[in-house]
Amino acid sequence: MKNHLRELRANKGWSQADLAEQLDVSRQTVNAIETEKYDPSLPLAFKIADLFDLKIEEIFVPNKTK
Amino acid sequence: MKTIFQKPPSKWTVIFTGLTWAIVYFLVRRLLNNDQLPQGWSIVLALVPIIPFAFFLAFMLANLRQMDELHRRVQLEALAIAFPLAMLLFMLLGLLELVIQLPPQDWGYRHTWYYLPLFYFIGLGVAWRRYQ
Repeated sequence: MKNHLRELRANKGWSQADLAEQLDVSRQTVNAIETEKYDPSLPLAFKIADLFDLKIEEIFVPNKTK
Repeated sequence: MKTIFQKPPSKWTVIFTGLTWAIVYFLVRRLLNNDQLPQGWSIVLALVPIIPFAFFLAFMLANLRQMDELHRRVQLEALAIAFPLAMLLFMLLGLLELVIQLPPQDWGYRHTWYYLPLFYFIGLGVAWRRYQ
């Protein structure tokens, strides 16, 4: 799944560690989400959306299926 | 969930209890190799590593429960790799036992269990590579 987390975080001027602290996850988790190697669970996706005051689908974009 | 811990143990606490267990294990093994103890005491001594292992397990589980979702997934994938590898090892040893005499000084329980943590660490390495 694609996402805009890196841009959103950069816009706020936060480091990965800052974001991780606010989401109560590790910095590695934030990095894995940003690099699209890991898709967060629904509760974490809601938490991220809440933090940026956006809808989940404005942050996470599913890969197109055939 | 109720926990016996005031605060979750750190990774270093888990490593420390793991090392304590390993040291106790090697001490017990050395003492049992001496062959000077009466059999009853030897059996009791052979069971002593259960105590530090129980602490290690409790700390490890408490640490696991405080991990975030990615770390838990990595642990799950590590075990998903380690468990079939362990099955494969014992299956192959079992089959080989049918056709050749495996030397017990190399392939007894006290030698083969070392492979299980090794498989876990291989699994951990493979799982982490995926998410880095």
